[in-house]
Amino acid sequence: MSDIIIGIDLGTTNSEVAIVENGKVTIIADAGKKILPSFVGIGDGGEILVGETARNQYLVYPERTVKSIKRLMGQDAQVVMADRQYSPQEISAVILKRLKAIAEDYVGHSLSKAVITVPAYFSDAQRQATREAGEIAGLEVVRMINEPTAAALVYGAGQSEAKRMLVYDLGGGTFDVSVVNVQAGVVEVLSSHGDNHLGGDDFDQQIVEHIQNHLREQHGVEIEGHGKAMARIVRAAENAKLRLSDEPFVQIEEEYLLEHGGTPIHLTLELARSTYEDMIADYINATMDATHIALKGAKLTATDIDEIILVGGSTRTPCIRERLFDEFGFEPHGEVDPDLCVAMGAAMQAAMIAGQSIDTVLVDVTPYTYGTSALGYLDGMPYPYQFVPIIHKNSVLPVRKSEAFMTHQDGQRAVNVRIYQGEDPDALNNIEIGEFTIEDLLDVPAGNIITLTLDLDLNGILHVSAREKASGMEKSITINNAISRFAPEELAGAKRRIEGLFGEEGAETDADRSESAAAAEARNLIKKAESLFDTVSAEDKEDMVDLIETIMAGLESGNDAALREPVERLNDIIYYLES
Amino acid sequence: MKSPYQILGVSEQASDAEIKQAYLQLVKDNPPDRDQQRFRQIQQAYEAIKDGDSRLRYALFHLPSLTFDELLEHAFPQNRVAHAMPAEDFLKLLTSVASDKLPFKTQVKAS
Repeated sequence: MSDIIIGIDLGTTNSEVAIVENGKVTIIADAGKKILPSFVGIGDGGEILVGETARNQYLVYPERTVKSIKRLMGQDAQVVMADRQYSPQEISAVILKRLKAIAEDYVGHSLSKAVITVPAYFSDAQRQATREAGEIAGLEVVRMINEPTAAALVYGAGQSEAKRMLVYDLGGGTFDVSVVNVQAGVVEVLSSHGDNHLGGDDFDQQIVEHIQNHLREQHGVEIEGHGKAMARIVRAAENAKLRLSDEPFVQIEEEYLLEHGGTPIHLTLELARSTYEDMIADYINATMDATHIALKGAKLTATDIDEIILVGGSTRTPCIRERLFDEFGFEPHGEVDPDLCVAMGAAMQAAMIAGQSIDTVLVDVTPYTYGTSALGYLDGMPYPYQFVPIIHKNSVLPVRKSEAFMTHQDGQRAVNVRIYQGEDPDALNNIEIGEFTIEDLLDVPAGNIITLTLDLDLNGILHVSAREKASGMEKSITINNAISRFAPEELAGAKRRIEGLFGEEGAETDADRSESAAAAEARNLIKKAESLFDTVSAEDKEDMVDLIETIMAGLESGNDAALREPVERLNDIIYYLES
Repeated sequence: MKSPYQILGVSEQASDAEIKQAYLQLVKDNPPDRDQQRFRQIQQAYEAIKDGDSRLRYALFHLPSLTFDELLEHAFPQNRVAHAMPAEDFLKLLTSVASDKLPFKTQVKAS
């Protein structure tokens, strides 16, 4: 039996895990849920929380909860969770570990290999960080594939006639657009473009700012810095956004948001879909511009596209569908759940790598141009940092290209090589992704030939080597962002730390003891209510969450009298549910 | 050294569609995940002859054994010269040929 390789969509907001069994793709559900919210938190007892429970906790203990960690991947950043610092890789590893456990429960034995999807427009550093997160979680990342490509694989499989598809993938934090040709069992990406910091989170943020302005004008309150109130507003903004997909107006209401000058502040605000669409218009325009760049990269126009595939939860926004309809003249496809199709594609690619099936073959491209800088000309003037592209945007992966350079001084003994990612003829306007020096060159006149080879692998990770032609001396590196990259021993340390987090389950703390009996009762009730979340209807859950929010506000202000009424109502609901 | 036509198993008269079909079939049998060397060879062969422009470029710059007259013959086959190419198209062709993909610079392409 060949090793099972799982397919993982590690998303900004939601994550999923899938496998192929008997030629069929299954999204593995955890307690009936196929979607694991990408939230990580530390619970009351110091135990690690992942998914729905962490997401619920976010309202109450934002300081112990982390969301949208994907946006920080590849950066030299740390997040604080319950007074301890974690790298983005470690937080992502916690999510991966949970997904791995869900899959292991399902198949009944341990698993060690995964295909993980990343946004097509993820940079080298972001891809490296994703691979490290996998290692910390105890998963060998056998391949990283691009999210829109994974989705195209799902739609392309079993397609008999040749089709050109546009994959429009707008997730919680990233946007990708790819033009794909599906023909004769080959899914061939023709071009890719995107923005790795544009997504539904930005839409939420616009609503959050709108609410903040409202509170400032109406109540003279500056809410920034009130952690819990901010968390509630973030959640309220997200809910409003979701409801605006179906309704023209929404009422945003949060009672007892916080106290200001001795009086409680209640938030009541109506938001019209048209107002919201104005707020996000710049973002939508940016995605349409990227779509045109992708079409141009594929040397096609809108009329050449046969189908549009929508991927990512944010594509439920009605104005996105309208804009695409205006551009292309037909309705986008959405038969496969836009939240699930990336994980399904990952599982299909995983099955292919494991040798299970080769029904559909993927051919992908790089969305970036890679090159180096050299003495040259810019706008007709001599310039020391002319960008010399070596691997061009939209080249098919894997790709290896070489370029020859000459030393410009007699007896030059060293060359400094810088590698850039970008399109600008001025290298300094591109992103420098690595540099190295070749020393001890032969003592010869100017014109000593150095060949530089760039090798971009199937995972989109760049390997670089330089060679002095005359001596054969070679120096090679794998480009990695020296800042965000872990050293091997650090990686092992991180792995132990995350394993430790998972091992500490069940411990109790006495943090709540100093509170009044009424407060303690209220907290217990909240826990009980949250434990029922998985089994109740969406409507009941919404009522419960609302009541919990009210109770939490009362707990925060220490006003036991304010607890009585919501506690009673929550008790009634629980009683009704349990009987 | 096999020519791109030999690698893809198509004749020199093959159409764009035939070349694409042959390429896709080979990719299907040789996915990039299996044998990267082989896949790269197929990919490069395809890129060398996938459309009229690239075939012209290949004919002009990768067949050193041909005489200049033969090269011209390759570039502008007799039977099609009946309706001569408009000057504008010819200029466009020249500028596209003189792009960075040619070995004019001190550039060495490794496989």
